[in-house]
Amino acid sequence: MEENSNNQKAYLYDNTKCIGCRACQVACKQWKNLPAEKTEFFGGPGYQNPAKLSSSTFTLIKYHEEVEEDKLKDWVFFKEQCRHCLEPACVSACLVKALEKTPEGPVIYHENLCMGCRYCMISCPFDIPKFQYHKVIPLIQKCNYCYDRLEEGLLPACSQTCPSGAIKFGTRGELIEEARERIFKNPDRYVNHIYGEHEVGGTSTLCISSVPLEKFGVRDVGTTPIPSYSKQFLTAVPVVIIGAATFCTALYWIAKRREAVAEAENKTEIKEE
Amino acid sequence: MASLAATYGRGAMTNHWGDIANSDCVIVIGSNPAENHPLSFKHVARAKDKGAKLIVIDPRFTRTASLADIYAPLRSGTDIAFINSIINYALANNLVNQDYVLTHTNASFLINPDFDITDGIFGELKDGKYSKATWGLQKNTDGTIKKDPTLADPACVYQQMKKYFARYDFETVSKITGTSVETLKKVADTICATHEPDKAAVIMYAMGTTQHTVGTQNIRTYAILQTLLGNIGVAGGGIDAMRGESNVQGSTDFGLLFHIIPGYLKCPAVEHVDLKTYLEKCTPKTADKQSANWWGNYPKYITSLLKAFWGDNATAENDYAFNYLPKTGGGYSHIAIFEAMEKGTIKGCLLLGQNPAVGGPNANIERKALGNLDWLVAVDLWETDTSVFWKRPGTNPADIKTEVFLLPAASSVEKEGSVSNSSRWAQWRYAAVTPPGEAKSDLWIISQLYKKLKESYNSGGKFPEPIVKLSWNFGGEEPDPNLVAKEVNGYFLADVDFPDKGKSFKKGDLVPGFAFLKDNGSTSCGCWIYCASYVNEGNMMARRKRSDPAKDTIGLNPEWAWCWPVNRRIIYNRASCDAQGNPYAPQKPVVKFNWETGKWAGDVPDGPWPPLKKQDGTNNPEGKYSFIMTAEGHACLFADLADGPFPEHYEPLESPVSNLMSKQQNNPAIKIWRKDEIGKSEQYPIVATTYRVSEHWQAGAMSRNLPWLAELMPNAFVEISNELAVEKGINNGDKVKISTIRGAIDIYALVTSRLKPFQLNGSTIHEVGIIWHFGYAGLVTGPSANELTPHVGDANTMIPEYKAFLCNIEKAIGV
Repeated sequence: MEENSNNQKAYLYDNTKCIGCRACQVACKQWKNLPAEKTEFFGGPGYQNPAKLSSSTFTLIKYHEEVEEDKLKDWVFFKEQCRHCLEPACVSACLVKALEKTPEGPVIYHENLCMGCRYCMISCPFDIPKFQYHKVIPLIQKCNYCYDRLEEGLLPACSQTCPSGAIKFGTRGELIEEARERIFKNPDRYVNHIYGEHEVGGTSTLCISSVPLEKFGVRDVGTTPIPSYSKQFLTAVPVVIIGAATFCTALYWIAKRREAVAEAENKTEIKEE
Repeated sequence: MASLAATYGRGAMTNHWGDIANSDCVIVIGSNPAENHPLSFKHVARAKDKGAKLIVIDPRFTRTASLADIYAPLRSGTDIAFINSIINYALANNLVNQDYVLTHTNASFLINPDFDITDGIFGELKDGKYSKATWGLQKNTDGTIKKDPTLADPACVYQQMKKYFARYDFETVSKITGTSVETLKKVADTICATHEPDKAAVIMYAMGTTQHTVGTQNIRTYAILQTLLGNIGVAGGGIDAMRGESNVQGSTDFGLLFHIIPGYLKCPAVEHVDLKTYLEKCTPKTADKQSANWWGNYPKYITSLLKAFWGDNATAENDYAFNYLPKTGGGYSHIAIFEAMEKGTIKGCLLLGQNPAVGGPNANIERKALGNLDWLVAVDLWETDTSVFWKRPGTNPADIKTEVFLLPAASSVEKEGSVSNSSRWAQWRYAAVTPPGEAKSDLWIISQLYKKLKESYNSGGKFPEPIVKLSWNFGGEEPDPNLVAKEVNGYFLADVDFPDKGKSFKKGDLVPGFAFLKDNGSTSCGCWIYCASYVNEGNMMARRKRSDPAKDTIGLNPEWAWCWPVNRRIIYNRASCDAQGNPYAPQKPVVKFNWETGKWAGDVPDGPWPPLKKQDGTNNPEGKYSFIMTAEGHACLFADLADGPFPEHYEPLESPVSNLMSKQQNNPAIKIWRKDEIGKSEQYPIVATTYRVSEHWQAGAMSRNLPWLAELMPNAFVEISNELAVEKGINNGDKVKISTIRGAIDIYALVTSRLKPFQLNGSTIHEVGIIWHFGYAGLVTGPSANELTPHVGDANTMIPEYKAFLCNIEKAIGV
């Protein structure tokens, strides 16, 4: 696992290099062709907008004024997005394998498999996956590290566009080494912690920061992979209690939904022609 | 830019964007590159990675400040006092590059012994104009300047500076700027550390510097400081004027200002009755044989320009059609034009990609002025606040008689041509897609306009010659930008031999460089500084080759596009060497003289001449001084500007405090348009400034209509300190009313620790910052900060004072 994860694609977000310009937010929407949200004044501290991640906002810069004894010490930023866990709770929770942890690293979503149960949303310790409540056939939406771009040898849109070098894309092992070196060289600049190295068993989105991420409302999620909590329990549940009727209903529902998704996709294509 | 021209001879960024990475100390003042020039921050980040210190001097703690090693707050409008204190510190502690100062600057020149400053005034001043009688330099009988190479003579520039700047000690300045003495000293120590010959600091400035009644002198302080430290012409040094838009550099290069014509030639004035008079006035002279005095070539450039304009119709007999050029009587600055429009003396207005209803100072006046026009033509991507001014909130369209035409324009990706960035790089680009609907390129629009005008003038009119005789050979209905670029570069109009250069050219050849331009009508050139951009070998601006970093250690990238002048990436680069041509910073040389080949190696040298001294240290009569664009060949620590040869602190037109430096409250050389519209601190006690953010673009027409950007910042807002918020009972997100003597707006309040009240000489002064991108048209709308700003401009350039004025603030009622 360790060796494999070291070779996975990952990125290191260093908020001591971030200028909070939000070019990443726009680049994400542009590449994914996501609609803008209707916002008002500021949705969070500083310049934050929209107020939170949503089915049309996959990444979000958050702002924090670090004040000590009534004196501003620093203005710091944090890029919120999918962590692409090494052992993702969402993948584990998904009954139909609509979410997949790819060998390359990104956690991707197969919309044609999704039955819309939203277990992934409930399971995610970072509250990342979002649901298209407003759509007739809603899908789960979240960052997929621009998997389509990676397949073409391109960087994710956000990291491609970052003007100040705050986002570095690479392999996880090397990035952890680099993060460690940056902290070692400038111990006064950073909290001595690589966020994502061990959180929930490790994530592919790594972060080093000048302030504890709790300041941005990031919860302490521990170092145990979320799926491991349920493994024991699930293996103990006798298979027989899953009623045949329930099983069939679920199958029927999934089949119908797949048809509907396919139909919707066809319609979109026709429309675009 | 006026300031850089007066100090060094050229009004442009001295270095280039990528060169910031070579710096040891990046000084950000009057700018906010992380937000307004975010791509520049790539290079700042590279410099920081190599250990450079970042100093940010700003009234607000900005996103740039968030990455600073030192953040120094200062009250808006006090840059001169701030930087003068550092100049004083450098002079008093001898933290200057002595060899540089002596070799490359006019420090040793002797000034008129009567020169002095009394009560904030430099000698004789009448109706806001200096006689400049005492500003002259002492001359020898042969006309050369008297110098004292020991720098000991009390009349020499250096000694005069020591005396002058001594008035700006940290304690006094702290009371003006509100910066603590400790911070001033820390900033001074960090910057002055770069006086070491192999160290360099760069100053990055923008509109926070220029948009003041003392804007030009603000930049003068930077220029003087950087020159004393030996930071001009060197890698990682310079004064980087960051232009507000992608092609602003191009627009000034091509004369889109009221006082210049292409190539920074002076706009002919009424008193220039013929070409001879104009040339006598405009061509600088020197008696010093070692001064290259490059502007001495002025006649070649204006003659070639006239030949480009009027072709065969420009002849020696008719002064090369000099009198076809319009002559200015003055008064064509932005403010003056809108004042005239308001009075009804200007009847029509053609605006290309401009949105003064939001961007102009005292915007309510400017909107009203638009309504006094007979016609307005707006050339834009879509409707802007300006083109719909006639139906703005609070107006009755029926009451406005102005006929408004909106011409749909092609966007930057829909047309071919060159764009000149702040680095002076002209970068060619191609049309990616065709313009939608009826949208047309600017070239097409101007060309059609010209052709229709010519048709009209062909059937008569007053003075039709300048129009009907114009040379206009740019292809068919859609002009070919290549033909325009070639005309800009210039052609040989006859076979010409240059025996001294061992070269000869045929009629029709493109001129390979401005050293080949002639004043006898045998060459044309639409903008002399762009000569060599499009040559027989091809379009140099279209080049896209990156250098090998192993060979090009300071990242000049000479084969990436093309830059003026003659592809010189760092101007004044001969000043990066001592008098014998050896680089002050051998680890990052820009140029170095090779005594074996007799040539400079590295960047294109600023003039081909050998160094001033030979290898054995004796004088080299062939050598020339390094600042070839000033008449005397030296960087001007003492310079000729409208409001003084040294920068003096004056308060902004509206200020909450009295000037601590002298009895003279405001810059004495400014023109005040509306005397009854000067806010007093009793009524308006709070300092206000305006600014931009990375999420929006200028007057917002382009960004407020883009949903993704509108989402990020959907409303106009004012940033206020926690202290002021408590005082006024304002909470974050409340609507507040900001009022000045000119108007009032209701706007969201962002309460932040990033602004702090200033302690000035015992009193507490608050400052607020308002973003100015908003207006009444577009996807997201909001009140315009410029409804509040004054109609007053800088003494030299007339750039409006957007950045410091007085306001009051209170919680808005009923919103």
